[in-house]
Amino acid sequence: MSKPLIVGSVAYTPNVVTIWEGMRDYFGDGQAEMDFVLFSNYGRQVDALLDQTIDLAWNTNLAWVRTVLQTRGECRAIAMRDTDTVFQTVIVARAGAGADGLESIRGKRLALGSKDSAQAAILPLHYLKREGVDVDDVDLIRINSDIGKHGDTGRSELDALSAVLDDRADFAALGINTWNGIGREELMPGAFEAVWESPTYSHCNFTALPGLSDDRVAPWLDALFAMDWDNPAHQPILEMEGLRTWVPPKLDGYTSLFEAVDEQGISPRW
Amino acid sequence: MVNYHVVLDLARRVNNAPHGAMVTVPLDAGSEPGLQRIIADWCDHTGNELVRIEDMLATVRRGRSDPLGGLAAGQLPGSRVWIYTNFDCNLACDYCCVRSSPQTPRRALDSGQIRQLAAEAVEAGVGELVLTGGEPFLLPDIAELVEICTDALPTTLLTNGMLFKGRRLESLRRMNRDRLALQISLDSVTPDLHDRHRGRGSWDRALAGVRIAIAEGFRVRIAATLMPEHVETLAQFHDFLDTLGIASEDHLIRPLAHQGVADHGIVLTVESLIPEVTVTADGIYWHPVSAVDDDHLVTRDIFPLASAISQVRSTFRQQRAHAAAAAQWFPCA
Ligand code: SF4
Repeated sequence: MSKPLIVGSVAYTPNVVTIWEGMRDYFGDGQAEMDFVLFSNYGRQVDALLDQTIDLAWNTNLAWVRTVLQTRGECRAIAMRDTDTVFQTVIVARAGAGADGLESIRGKRLALGSKDSAQAAILPLHYLKREGVDVDDVDLIRINSDIGKHGDTGRSELDALSAVLDDRADFAALGINTWNGIGREELMPGAFEAVWESPTYSHCNFTALPGLSDDRVAPWLDALFAMDWDNPAHQPILEMEGLRTWVPPKLDGYTSLFEAVDEQGISPRW
Repeated sequence: MVNYHVVLDLARRVNNAPHGAMVTVPLDAGSEPGLQRIIADWCDHTGNELVRIEDMLATVRRGRSDPLGGLAAGQLPGSRVWIYTNFDCNLACDYCCVRSSPQTPRRALDSGQIRQLAAEAVEAGVGELVLTGGEPFLLPDIAELVEICTDALPTTLLTNGMLFKGRRLESLRRMNRDRLALQISLDSVTPDLHDRHRGRGSWDRALAGVRIAIAEGFRVRIAATLMPEHVETLAQFHDFLDTLGIASEDHLIRPLAHQGVADHGIVLTVESLIPEVTVTADGIYWHPVSAVDDDHLVTRDIFPLASAISQVRSTFRQQRAHAAAAAQWFPCA
């Protein structure tokens, strides 16, 4: 029997323990046995992957980009959630503010989430630049409330929304998950409206180093892809992890973040 | 204007809470009832459970759960039904939770009622009947009552074991050994402690009853009421039951409940007790340990049994949703 695959994950909520214990139980003790190690931040997790302390890292998009940069492209992504292939950034304003599109942010106050959040800080600046809005013409309000966790907690995005409600900011940058989580425009009538939605991009993936052999990964991946939303034993884990089905990685969805990291001079490490 | 900060605050706290945990946020005085509706909609939308909005506080549980979901199968109210056949007893124990004694009026269920209960219990998906009293062997028709029950479902009969003589021994012998377990009360390894609470000579006679029941081929469970002074002798007590041939899963030790004539013991309330549907001649009660306590009366209507069971379940479901951690399991069998 081969040794269990050790998966690293960042503990951004206490529910991470429940999720990974559920995953470990699902994989059982057969060919695809796994265990997990939790980290307090993605920097430490990527270090552990590079040191081969863990076999797989459940990485955010920024952690993936940093792993690629540190391994000079030697690492590989092996799977992601269906929801990771269609992630988006949304810019919201107070309802009725009359704003529309990124151009309307010029000269205004934009609340960004944690500086290591791709969805709420790094990509919004990248898209502004791409639209021809010089970030020097925008009053950036940075809310770095969950550094190290790459925005996973959603805390900095909710804080950015509070800043808009309090008129400390005109706009807030959010991940689509947070926007959906507060019910978009519908749940709080008259509170917020979306003024811009980004193209879709890729978010998390399971990252492996080349040293991890196929005969260890293949059975694990087979079992992963066999998780079934319609199976009542699998559904609670899938629901908590925020997906319906595991899918192969969509690598072209990371292009925008590679460009953003390069433009903004973001360090490849931590 | 509705204060949307409350919703953002709720989202922040719920995001950070473990599945199943409760989160409470203060509401803003000026923003009801619009805010209440928004919080309810938000919970619905995000798959969390609004437990209550009360006293300007909203309480939300992370995730959604059936409040009865965490119970073991045997703890689901209605998985078994307790039936007080009668309340009179040949003993007058000083801790009796239902105030039984030789002077207590009988207040018995007749064989017609027992028959209907047994039939409705099967219909309602009940898995086991538990007959208790008072002392059931005081009833002249106890063998018939037990037969009605064992014909319907596996049954346990609680007794003090002291009356297995003459026609009552004959009644015992007529009972179905494959479908009936006897639960006999025995509190200690030696007579002193048992007799102090249950009457002089009662330990000897109860022990004789245990031996008769075993010799007659019945499965016997021993139920002991745990007194504070008893705690050090617990290991000895288990050894003693082993020597009698009582299987270890049939050693049932429970704490003294402050009910009936007991002047001390743990205080049990409807809120703190996982219910066990209990039928008496006076109505349906929350739990056998409190079957003479008006506060624990569920309904005066014994029939239909299924509606009594669903009434107990729905009250319990609401309570569990409100105070998930408060209930304690008080075993009687
Ligand atoms: S505890 Fe049992 S034996 Fe004692 S008086 Fe009550 S019903 Fe009778």
